Amino acid sequence: MELYYLSKDSLKRLINILLEENTVHTLRENNGDLDYGVLTRDDLESTEIIYSKYRAIQPIKSFFSLFSEDVTADKTDTRKRIIIGVKTCDLNALAVMDKMFMEGEFIDTYYKGRRENTIIISSDCTDAKDTCFCTLLGNNPFPSSGFDLNLSPSEEGFVVEAGSEKGRALVRTNRNIFGEEDKRLEEKRIEKRQKMKSKVENINKKFSLKKEFWKELPLYFNSEMWEETSGPCVECGACTNACPSCYCFLLSDIEGKPGFKKIKYWDSCQFTGYARVAGGANPRPKLFERFRNRYLCKYDYRPGALGLVACTGCGRCIECCQGKIDKREVLEKVMK
Amino acid sequence: MEKNIYKPINARIEKVIEETANIKTFVLKPEEKFSFATGQFIQMTVPGLGESPFTPSSSPYETARIEVTVMNVGRVTSKLHSMNEGEIVGIRGPYGKGYPIKDYYGKEVVILGGGVGMAPLRSFLLTLLKESNKFKRIVLCYGAKTPQDIVYKNSFPVWKKEKHLEILRSVDKAVGKWTETEGLVTVLLDKVKPDLRNSVAVVCGPPIMMKFGTFKLIELGFKPEQIYLSMERNMSCGLGKCGHCGLGKYFVCKDGPVFTYDKIKDIPDVWA
Repeated sequence: MELYYLSKDSLKRLINILLEENTVHTLRENNGDLDYGVLTRDDLESTEIIYSKYRAIQPIKSFFSLFSEDVTADKTDTRKRIIIGVKTCDLNALAVMDKMFMEGEFIDTYYKGRRENTIIISSDCTDAKDTCFCTLLGNNPFPSSGFDLNLSPSEEGFVVEAGSEKGRALVRTNRNIFGEEDKRLEEKRIEKRQKMKSKVENINKKFSLKKEFWKELPLYFNSEMWEETSGPCVECGACTNACPSCYCFLLSDIEGKPGFKKIKYWDSCQFTGYARVAGGANPRPKLFERFRNRYLCKYDYRPGALGLVACTGCGRCIECCQGKIDKREVLEKVMK
Repeated sequence: MEKNIYKPINARIEKVIEETANIKTFVLKPEEKFSFATGQFIQMTVPGLGESPFTPSSSPYETARIEVTVMNVGRVTSKLHSMNEGEIVGIRGPYGKGYPIKDYYGKEVVILGGGVGMAPLRSFLLTLLKESNKFKRIVLCYGAKTPQDIVYKNSFPVWKKEKHLEILRSVDKAVGKWTETEGLVTVLLDKVKPDLRNSVAVVCGPPIMMKFGTFKLIELGFKPEQIYLSMERNMSCGLGKCGHCGLGKYFVCKDGPVFTYDKIKDIPDVWA
């Protein structure tokens, strides 16, 4: 583990240098919530940057797999970017996205171009929403991997961990700011991390989901509760859009244009036509079947295929649901 | 830049063959080098309209041209049916895993096909016939709704001359002159009497036929791992990324489209 201490001023100096060659995205208040915005030099001087708190409303995938994009234009996006304040739930989701788009026989060069040219500076959560449930999934509100640099607020500054070659290179080129490595800094963040973890556990203590509950979810495929719990669903697809690890997309050919112009845009397994084949047959014609599919995909299918649970407990799907469906309650009811 | 996985190459329609009232075979000449293994599929684009997956019906040994047999059932296929010789379509691929032909060496191969599901099986059959002495026996059981709905009417007379190939055909409803079996295609299986210790069955057809065909094979004593099914699901990318063709933990495009039944039999909505 490679740890450094940066004061708030040192971190600002670092960002100032990074602004020369990168677009820097930071968390900012947006109607009482957090969103990412582009940081300017003026912002750096005049505003208090939010480094930690909790996750943004915007899922991290939106930086890499765009909502809508022409994938027949032969150019990749290689703009240098830095995203500051990414949370563990989003880092875990990126691991899923990376496997989907950058591993195997076929590589999505659009995704890869953006991913490779982005530096991720994550941070420990210092607060939680009542929809946060990373701890139910055995995750923590602080990261152990998947970041280039991670910031753990400590006293008047940050314990900074370099977690990748990109992160270590950043330290090397800015050695005068980072100073020397100090392993003892680990102790400085332990207490705060544990406190935060307890906070998230407390938020979720009313839910009686067992440790690694997802391993047993397939046993409840035929539960009657799928139909009941999906009752308030209006099939808007907000949950899949807001989910940082929902990767599904549709390729659509633009009508009326000659040649091959394909737009790739986010799709949702909650929509009726998602799995319908030519001729009209549909493996999941009923709403509750599509609703169930999302849970099984997250907790059974992707773990089976990728070795990763594709729900990271970010709680966005709970927050954005028009029908006020709480995933935790659904799982509890279904698995009773 | 690395290869753009989403972009098709041009293929010219060289010939359109009318198979039935709603099925046509398109003979395509790719403008770039293109090859596939039998059972693998391609994504075919009608420019400006859309893209659909098809398994070529031609022999993989024929590399200059690819034949694709298309039933007119949807938006893309209906437009395709109105296209003529000389026009350009896009193709991407090949995708998925094909038939493990070498695993069938020395075995009895029972092919069960229904309707336009004969398309991939034609490619498969042509591949087997290329080295027919490698197989102990090749039996084709093919069913269609009526005699008019039988595809590859020109191929059957040729295949009938193949001494390594037995052909059994049925139609659900016999109209006009029909001297072969009347009934569902599964009844043909009763006539095959394969050596179960040394057989494989390869199935492709409409979902309902796949389901009951599989059940019939199991009833006859085939083990799930001896049954090779071509699964159909909605597909968009063909690359194992877009999610549409999910079948339990598998993506039909990447892990299939050919699966042995033992791999998928416990998926609750496998026949959905």
